[in-house]
Amino acid sequence: MIECRNLAKSYGKLEAVSDFSLHLEEHEFLSILGPSGCGKSTLLRLIAGLEVPSQGQVLLQNREISGEKIILPPEHRKFGMIFQDFALFPHLSVESNIAYGVSGSRNEKQKRVNELLELVSLPHLAAKMPHQISGGEQQRIAVARALAPRPRLILMDEPFSNLDYQLRLQLRRDIRDILKHEGVATIIVTHDQVEAITFSDRVILMHNGKLVQAGTPTEIYQYPKTLWASSFVGEANHLPVEWQDTSLNSPFGLLAVPAEIGKETQILMVRPEDFRIEYAPDEEANGTVKTVDFSGSVQIVSVELKSGDTIQVSGSPHYLWSLKEPVKITAERYLCFNSSGHSLEGFAEE
Amino acid sequence: MKSPIHSSGSWNLFTLSLALLFALPFFSLLVTAGSGGENVWRHLLSTVMPGYLKNTFWLMVGVGSGTLFLGVSTSWLISMTEFPGRRMMEWALLLPLAFPGYIIAMVYVELLEYSGPVQAQLRLWFGWQNSQNYWFPRIASVGGAITMLSLVLYPYVYLLARTTFLQQSATLLEASRMLGKSTRKSFLLIALPLARPAIAVGVSLAMMETLADFGTMQLFAVQTFTTGIYHTWFGTYNAPGAAQLSLSLLIFISFFIFLERYSRKQQRFHTQSSIQTTQTRYRLSGIRAVLALSFCLFPVVFGFALPAGLLIQWAAESWRGVILDRFFSDAGNSLILAGITALLGVFFGLLMAFGSRLSKRRRVHWAARLVSLGYAFPGPVVALGVLLPFAWFDRTMNAWMESTFGVSSGYFLSGTLFILVFAYLVRFLALAYGTAETGFGRITSEIEDASRSLGKNSWQTLKRVHLPLIRGSMLAAGLLVFVDVMKELPATLMLQPFNFSTLATRAYGYATEELLKESSLWCLTIVIVGLFPVVYLNRHLRESTPQNY
Repeated sequence: MIECRNLAKSYGKLEAVSDFSLHLEEHEFLSILGPSGCGKSTLLRLIAGLEVPSQGQVLLQNREISGEKIILPPEHRKFGMIFQDFALFPHLSVESNIAYGVSGSRNEKQKRVNELLELVSLPHLAAKMPHQISGGEQQRIAVARALAPRPRLILMDEPFSNLDYQLRLQLRRDIRDILKHEGVATIIVTHDQVEAITFSDRVILMHNGKLVQAGTPTEIYQYPKTLWASSFVGEANHLPVEWQDTSLNSPFGLLAVPAEIGKETQILMVRPEDFRIEYAPDEEANGTVKTVDFSGSVQIVSVELKSGDTIQVSGSPHYLWSLKEPVKITAERYLCFNSSGHSLEGFAEE
Repeated sequence: MKSPIHSSGSWNLFTLSLALLFALPFFSLLVTAGSGGENVWRHLLSTVMPGYLKNTFWLMVGVGSGTLFLGVSTSWLISMTEFPGRRMMEWALLLPLAFPGYIIAMVYVELLEYSGPVQAQLRLWFGWQNSQNYWFPRIASVGGAITMLSLVLYPYVYLLARTTFLQQSATLLEASRMLGKSTRKSFLLIALPLARPAIAVGVSLAMMETLADFGTMQLFAVQTFTTGIYHTWFGTYNAPGAAQLSLSLLIFISFFIFLERYSRKQQRFHTQSSIQTTQTRYRLSGIRAVLALSFCLFPVVFGFALPAGLLIQWAAESWRGVILDRFFSDAGNSLILAGITALLGVFFGLLMAFGSRLSKRRRVHWAARLVSLGYAFPGPVVALGVLLPFAWFDRTMNAWMESTFGVSSGYFLSGTLFILVFAYLVRFLALAYGTAETGFGRITSEIEDASRSLGKNSWQTLKRVHLPLIRGSMLAAGLLVFVDVMKELPATLMLQPFNFSTLATRAYGYATEELLKESSLWCLTIVIVGLFPVVYLNRHLRESTPQNY
């Protein structure tokens, strides 16, 4: 339903968004994930019509709504937006906040307001003022207010970052359920990978104003397209490797990789859980245990390899490693990256 | 209850006695008003009161709506739109604040009266012989006073509304647009209601100034409470009558004080900190930009540029004729009075604010607050309130001296500058106290505790922690007091010693003798001094607005 074509926005010399394309299906939940300052909020505001693109177009149901010739004002787009600070109108009651965007007779408005207060399970707060309710409640009211005019699309800008951890988990689930129930397509902008992964069907990874990778959360985790992506989503070990005759020479031994890929490979990416760690006598060992962080369900072991590199390995919590223990490290799954940090292909040992 | 801080007992006593000293005029008015008996009151009600009430009512309505209209519309244009010249207009709109009401009134009287240049020119063009041939609005009227005061008082509303508009979260307006409301509607539904408390504060300040105004009303022969107090005192020396008029006036003023305080409280809920995004100004072009610029130019030209220009021209024409010795002696008097008052004001204001902060007792806070009300007291009321107890003291002293020593001590307090400075302090101490209080408010009690725990007592803490931190704002407070004393007219007029005058009283004296042009050098000096706080305000405002603005 929404499509961005080669969208770009620059402020003076700074290019906040460059050559960005994306599309969104009906009812779809899409996350735009990236570190702060990557341009994701600007992208959202371009879609909302709050910013004018320097280049490119935004299309709604194949009709141009932002482009060189036309900028449909935000008030005519019928998109709901949920802001980081919730932006509840401080001089209006909860009820009037929700009714603000609803059109129709007094009765119709009241009916819609009641429906939404039920939906967010806060009917008892109708007459309260925004400063009288808690942060979590404000968040839900903001969602109710955005949904009230029956928008085609909901845009959320870091909606949970102002809430504390426990509340965030709870609300994330609740609000996802509410939005799914209403069946409205949603774009959420966040810097929190867990939020992106748990909230949405599809994730778009953004860095320095550019699209890095789009895909399902698992795709992005398992097959990151760049080294940056591999460490932004999840934990990653980056190790220098060299092509030697017929195989890749890695700090933990020779790896069999097709020549056309192996010759290009400069860096190997391995997830901590993809290492196998076992005890070995000194002469067979290729590293020693440096530190151990035990956190209940996992044990993060930091191992200094003989090559001098240090890697993070997640080990089984059943065996506690002790410091300076000689170990043998092997990789069960790894990805090859070229000199510019782009993924060549991933491999898993049988 | 024993206070945890060892020395705060003496601080409490000190603050309390200072506060009571400066609240003395108020109590003296209460006592005097009660001494007159019923007759005086009935007499006032049947004679002057209806006229005062009528004039006051129309002045309130007129100046209230005038400042509201000019202040809100200009602040909206300046903060929400972009047009060529906007940045200059932004500070230029503050300039009329430099004009005291009585000076702008003097200029327009000279300009627009029957023998003035405007009417003379009109008669020349149209061949009119005398005032029976044509209609021209009478400047010396309630309408004239409303126009004059609106022109110089609207910056209060402009200033406060503009700050609020700029500090308002841009996301709120965006949220409104996302919910389907246009920019214009969003302004009406969100920005304006949110700015309402600030606008109310501005309008109440303007109305308090109007109630307190003496010079404009006197020049335009508009009978109000302030001129009434003056005449009741100087015309008939009817102290109870003047005191009762003063109290009636204070009742009106207290309503606006209440309104102002209440609105400030409301404002707290209406301002919320937020992540400031670039506020997109609505870009005006072509005829609309020209209209916006001319609209903003209108109050600047008529409230500042034109009268200032005329004053300069008249001063240039007349300075050879005026007695420069007289000018320099008046300027010197003004300078000394303003300087001494500013220094004392800052000193006492600082001590009281610090004492009130140290104290955990309610009555100390209340006493301090009582003093801060002095600013709302019109000049004639303060003058009367100061004069009565001092005159009583002098009389008693004199009688006692004569009966015991056979010599007369004369009026050794009430005929001196001492009483004048005291009256100024009563009126303007609030400025210094308020600034010090705000400054102290930014210093957390943890900082104080840290200094105390490092072995410094409250004096040392004041000297080494607080003073360096609030030096800037105290300097500003001193400047404000200084300028206000320079501009002050009625209290000076009522209390100045014989054969003594300041820039303000001499200018006014000339004006009452219809020697307006001769007074222009005096007026110009007051206006130039009055520009300093405007410059300060403007700078202060820039610092308090978001950077990307």
